[in-house]
Amino acid sequence: MKKNQPTILSGKPAAAGIGIGSSWILEKESQSVKPVKIQKDEVQEHLKKFKVAKEVVSREYEKLKLLPDDYNALEIIDAQLQTLNDPEVAKGIKAKISENNYAVDYAIFSTFNEYIQVLEKSDVTWANDRTIDIVAIRDELVQATRKNKTELTVKEGQIVFASEIPPTVMVELSHTQIAGIVMEKGGLTSHAVILSQSLGIPCVINVNWKSSKLKNGNNAIIDGSTGQVILTPSWKQTQEYKKRKEEEVARLRRGLKWAKEPNKTACGTEFTLRANVEFLEELPRLKTHGAQGVGLLRTETLLFEVHEFDVEDQVNFYSEVIQKAQGESVTIRLFDAGGDKLLDQNEQEANPFLGWRGIRMLLDKKNLFKKQLEAIYRVSGKFKGQVKILIPMVSVLEEILEVKAICEIIKKSLSKRDIAFDENLQIGVMVEVPSIAIMADQIARHVDFFSIGTNDLTQYTLAVDRGNEKISSLFNSLHPAVWKLIKMSKDAADQEGIPVAVCGEMASKPEAAACLLGMGITELSMNTSSLPVVKSVLCTHNHEEMKILSEGVLSAECAETVHKLLEEWRAV
Amino acid sequence: MVSQKVTVKNEAGLHARPASALVKIASRFESEFYIKMYGYKVNGKSILGVMTLAAESGAEMELILDGPDEEQALKELVKLFENKFDLNSG
Repeated sequence: MKKNQPTILSGKPAAAGIGIGSSWILEKESQSVKPVKIQKDEVQEHLKKFKVAKEVVSREYEKLKLLPDDYNALEIIDAQLQTLNDPEVAKGIKAKISENNYAVDYAIFSTFNEYIQVLEKSDVTWANDRTIDIVAIRDELVQATRKNKTELTVKEGQIVFASEIPPTVMVELSHTQIAGIVMEKGGLTSHAVILSQSLGIPCVINVNWKSSKLKNGNNAIIDGSTGQVILTPSWKQTQEYKKRKEEEVARLRRGLKWAKEPNKTACGTEFTLRANVEFLEELPRLKTHGAQGVGLLRTETLLFEVHEFDVEDQVNFYSEVIQKAQGESVTIRLFDAGGDKLLDQNEQEANPFLGWRGIRMLLDKKNLFKKQLEAIYRVSGKFKGQVKILIPMVSVLEEILEVKAICEIIKKSLSKRDIAFDENLQIGVMVEVPSIAIMADQIARHVDFFSIGTNDLTQYTLAVDRGNEKISSLFNSLHPAVWKLIKMSKDAADQEGIPVAVCGEMASKPEAAACLLGMGITELSMNTSSLPVVKSVLCTHNHEEMKILSEGVLSAECAETVHKLLEEWRAV
Repeated sequence: MVSQKVTVKNEAGLHARPASALVKIASRFESEFYIKMYGYKVNGKSILGVMTLAAESGAEMELILDGPDEEQALKELVKLFENKFDLNSG
């Protein structure tokens, strides 16, 4: 048999590192369902898939039951659960699999369609509304049978090839130690990319890998620093990359040495570096990578992973994170669901990033919101002075006031039940919508701290959807407009004497971090993989140099000038 | 096996919500439950089956129960038709 020739593809580097392993293709969930026949010996497997899919979708609906506040929605969900557990439907699907030997997805699809057709033909007025709900169940079940197929097969040390990776799938992938990720689509600030950066998984995006004849199990090499991907590499190439990977590991080890040094610039100005954290798996890196606590704890994954986000589950999760912070503070960002992290695929909005997300959603979902606040306050009682709350997606002052009022209710209820909590728990606001940066002088009077989220601030300031590849070149968090808003926020905070931190990806670029420090922002939070390099740069420069850099950046006329300034600074 | 004829009394007919209530009550019993209407026979524990009857107000149907708790089940289900499918009344 002829040996495969090496194929070199190039894309955009998204998360540094070299990965060597066999390929695993994440199949895109196709929308069409075809009458595929299966072999007799596959019947059991497909019956099982139906059972599992039913369980998965049921759990999703049970989870939804905790969200709504009104009785009508509960009734609808109950009806959906009855549809899912309909004995006649199950009988029909099972017969199609075991007697007619249809694949599970077609069995589900066609069985539901029979009922849908009858309802559509009947001329009762309510039937149309109901068919929409039944179609939803049908599609969710079909999707669940497919998801399961992909979830199970990826193995440790493999390189994942995908068109794009939705947040929920990325969460699944993070549980396996994969060697790398290659995506056809996606922007640098997509959820999948941020996660691979923080977990240290090499990642390359915008790679047209589908044009090659890649099969599952082919050898591959990915270089997340240069954006190169080699399919079926030669022996020589493999050896070369193995050597480079060893060097990389050695370099990281050298960088990690800085982790133990004190956080001071060459001239002695002190600063604080914290970690952005989403998974418990990342926590051991706090110590090895030199993070002083957690500057941003993302909590949305709880919504995806925990089937019932009850208070107890949350208390355990937060406690575990705080224990690992070894006496340092942990800033918990309230559920920031919505936008690209949409809870429910069926609740698509025309403009999700300008829509119902972050605090906007929480204030509508009081049950969910109160549960999270109660969990946080309870944890604060055990770790006094260590816990802080960060409110996401705030655009007007009223939202802050409402959150504070709800916090008071929670505190009262805890006092009544004699449950300890931190009386002085600090509440801060994410500065990520330009209105908050512009109104920072007023906002600063009502909060304990600012935390600047540069990704969203960039997106909203420059009016660029950060997931849209066509305009991804416009998404530039180094644009002077963003720097000016950061400066405005910092000045306003100084007036009121409250601290400011930057927790966006901007802080993870060493020169940008130096520039922030030059502006007097001494608290930076970033993914753990970036910490050692950022720290080594900050420790080896003087504060004065950083001040000069920041003055230059603030008076730049365009992003290009800022890039030049940062590059020159790096060269010096 | 026991059976009884009933009439749909609520104005909107046996639409989604009543169907849901009917299935909910029926599922509490072990007995098999069938509904016969215009020569159709559907499983009364199947919400999609009940809905496809598309029974309007005034429609007549026969409830058929077969199993260890058939008497009690029939009584409860007939009562549900009498109460116009309101789970909270009587």
